[in-house]
Amino acid sequence: MSGYTEGIITLLCINAIAAMGVSLLTGFTGIFTLGHAAYMALGAYTSAILTVQYGIHWLPAVLLGGGVAVIVAYGIGVPTLRLMGDYFAIASIGLGEAIRLILENWQSLTRGARGYPGIEPYTTLPVALSFFVIMGLCMFNLINSHYGRSFKACRDDYMAASLLGFHTARLRVLSLVISAFYCGVAGALLAGFLSFIQPIMFDMLKSTELTAVVVFGGLGSMVGTLVGTLIITLVTELFRPISQYRMLIYGAVLVIIMVLRPEGIMGGLDGRWLAKKVFRRKDHGGTA
Amino acid sequence: MKRGKRWRGAICFLIVSLLIGVLGVTSALAQEKPVKIGYLAALTGDWAAYGQTEEKSARLAVDELNAKGGVLGRQIELIVYDFRTRAEDAVNAVRRMIEEDKVVAIVGANGSGINIATAPLVNRYGVSQIGTVSTNPLVTVDEKGKVRPFSFRICFTDPYQGKLIAYFAAKELQRMNAAILYDVGNDYSHGLREFFMKSYGEYGGKVVADLGFRGGQDVDFRAQLTEIRDKKADVLILPNMGKEMALIMKQARELGMDDIIFVGGDGYGEFMWEIAGDAMENSYWINHVAPEDPAMQPFFQAYKEKWNDECKEFVNGVLGYDSIYWLVDAIGRAGSDDPKAIRDALASTTNLKLHHATITVDPENNTPKDKDGVVLVAKDGKGQFYKKIKP
Amino acid sequence: MRSSVATFLQQVINGLSLGSVYALIAVGYSLVYSILLFSNFAHGGFLVIGGYICYVALKTMGLNIWMASLLSLVGAGIAAVLTERIAYKPIRERTNVTLYLLIASMGMSIVIENIFVIVAGGRFRALPPVIPTHPVQIFNIATTSAFDLLSFVVALVALGCLQLFLSRTKWGLAIRAAACDLRTAGLMGVNVNLLIAIVFFTAGALAAIGGIFLSVRYTLYPQLGVITIKAFVAAVIGGLGSLPGAVVGSLILGLAEMLAAGFISSQMRDLVVFSLLVITLLIKPTGLFGKQMSEKI
Repeated sequence: MSGYTEGIITLLCINAIAAMGVSLLTGFTGIFTLGHAAYMALGAYTSAILTVQYGIHWLPAVLLGGGVAVIVAYGIGVPTLRLMGDYFAIASIGLGEAIRLILENWQSLTRGARGYPGIEPYTTLPVALSFFVIMGLCMFNLINSHYGRSFKACRDDYMAASLLGFHTARLRVLSLVISAFYCGVAGALLAGFLSFIQPIMFDMLKSTELTAVVVFGGLGSMVGTLVGTLIITLVTELFRPISQYRMLIYGAVLVIIMVLRPEGIMGGLDGRWLAKKVFRRKDHGGTA
Repeated sequence: MKRGKRWRGAICFLIVSLLIGVLGVTSALAQEKPVKIGYLAALTGDWAAYGQTEEKSARLAVDELNAKGGVLGRQIELIVYDFRTRAEDAVNAVRRMIEEDKVVAIVGANGSGINIATAPLVNRYGVSQIGTVSTNPLVTVDEKGKVRPFSFRICFTDPYQGKLIAYFAAKELQRMNAAILYDVGNDYSHGLREFFMKSYGEYGGKVVADLGFRGGQDVDFRAQLTEIRDKKADVLILPNMGKEMALIMKQARELGMDDIIFVGGDGYGEFMWEIAGDAMENSYWINHVAPEDPAMQPFFQAYKEKWNDECKEFVNGVLGYDSIYWLVDAIGRAGSDDPKAIRDALASTTNLKLHHATITVDPENNTPKDKDGVVLVAKDGKGQFYKKIKP
Repeated sequence: MRSSVATFLQQVINGLSLGSVYALIAVGYSLVYSILLFSNFAHGGFLVIGGYICYVALKTMGLNIWMASLLSLVGAGIAAVLTERIAYKPIRERTNVTLYLLIASMGMSIVIENIFVIVAGGRFRALPPVIPTHPVQIFNIATTSAFDLLSFVVALVALGCLQLFLSRTKWGLAIRAAACDLRTAGLMGVNVNLLIAIVFFTAGALAAIGGIFLSVRYTLYPQLGVITIKAFVAAVIGGLGSLPGAVVGSLILGLAEMLAAGFISSQMRDLVVFSLLVITLLIKPTGLFGKQMSEKI
């Protein structure tokens, strides 16, 4: 297998881990986010700085990357969970950009906008595959467990769930935190794959890509999320040489999917009904 | 519905296997005879003007050399990748060039930040990269001062350039209150600013305002210019790349800043006139090459004939052109297309007569020694030769 | 200190002129949101389309600035309506899930930007200097350029016209009704599809004005539309769906940006913008003028 093919599969694993995290939050808990690339950025920079500046071994560095993402998600993300629907999404955009800009401005720590080069390439194919398999198994376990059902209850009818005794607020927090961990780890692995990271790599375009992949694959279907990641990553990488056409195709695909089959690949009847319940147009609403 | 589900799965599988098939085929098409040289150019994005000129100059050089028989008895093939003025794309492109296209060496990019990002990669893979206008020291030497064996450049470096700018501002123009407006996202800008400030202080000048902006994102500099105006700076140092400098000069004049002189480095490009117009008149630019240099006229002539276009970004054109000539000479001296042998030949280059200069490489930093600095003055819509200086 | 006041005043003027351009974009944005209840991220694309049409009209067709602007407004308006017809109408008719519209709008924004990258090339273009840019003194304390004054005035005029349209014409009334409740307005006999087309046309035209000013000031390139995200923040601060809110929010944002850039550091500019967004959402999500409606059980 050529180095190039290995690289693509590694990238697939990385993107899949991040997508699974976002899928948990959006498809399964019904919280729509457009700022999760920031958690990837946090994971990436944490791991990069720890391995390059402090010589820490990559395994704890990657996990700490996820950890930092969790801490930030808990600290800043949680207050915004009060917001419902569209407003949380807008807040996630704001937070996503704010975190990225802080990383960009903190030049003494991160070298700012110029980027952070020379990261040890610790994300080899076996490493990426192992992380993917282990975290994938955990995720599938989670969504089929009692917690998974509770998340879905929050998503399907928040009011009813809370009246029925589900700790809806706590469940939303848990979901956000887990999704942040997954994105953080994915970011850390990305740093070890590219050997070079820049804040601009984790902008709103990247966040949108994560959410789009989940919708594309079908809300509420983890398998769908994986299939979506596979297709989008392959299209992105293979068309890199003709990059402006690549972006055009990517944009067109987003539009076409939404127009023709918004429930996504694995959506089916379930997905459509699901999306309607969760993301129905609300009045000019505020907080819950 | 069940039948629908089955079909869906089948279609997905088909699409996926098709994509994997394409992958396999493209990687199989690797066996070829020509000597492959990779070129990293910014064909789109903010540096498109520089990158497109470099590509054209490089192709001109390759065609000329191929007409004379190529190198090692084989034809030269130029494989150009567009890094879209983004370091991330450059890193990806370099990886592809080395792993997929199996190039023997890489020329480009023109930006320090780009080459600093790709340096760990090319050094790990053992394939030489020659930067055309990448002047930051860190491109060829790491933070600890050790040379990066496979990173080279054809231009002079920023400590030298910063000193030239400081010398010019303080001694020639006799302006002792400088303001700097630099790009925080650009290694070249950072480095040049640092070296300018050091030398300027040594010449007795004072930096009254040291402000930054985010290249590629900020387009409005009035906030910073207001402060510069109020601090009464008499010279504005612009250690950046083209587009933003043009906007800065234009906005400065709009704010009524008529007396301040603009001095910049080798980020000058003729395209800046389109944006800045008259605001640019009488600005000074420290550079590598003068457009009136008689030794370069054959090149400009050939460029015009081949591409039906003036070589506007002449610095990039000349340096890109000569980088190819340098590399091909090294390949010839190495006697093989082994990247390691080519590297050794590059590092041991002595008194090689190129078109714009004769270079001897210092293996301590993989940079040509003792190159002249040329000062250009922007007058009547063109960058014109002013004088040659050595501090 | 005298100079400190002068600097402050200068930054305020800078901020107001920036804010007036934001206002043009934010109002178009809010207009669409008030009717369809989704954030049209493709709005930036209309801006770019307006800019390029004006450029082509000035450079290759040699028209004067008035004709070029008119062409540009009409062109962008039509493009906006087309976008709505192609991408949003099919989704809107099948489902009322705004998430789909949002993702489709992101897709359209990428498509428009990249069409220009491919067709016009990634290089930026400078528009011919048809709009005066010479410096103008204000009370001998601050200097601004004729351009800034002009953009401020044009923004006022455009918004004034919009206000007249909304309050004095039949369609304006229909739009205001639809902003309250689209479905009911439809039941009351308003041709909803035509209404939406008019709204998008207006939004596109407003964006085009913004696009022309931005491209003259800052050069024209395909990614010019990314400034829309700031207009979006302005609209949220002012209250999504409220047009006066969009204007006020834009001015506040322009001022905040310039003052932050001038007195803290220019790098912090965008950070201030997004922090304001988050703070607004945490304190009063519906913004300054947004309607407060609680979730009905």
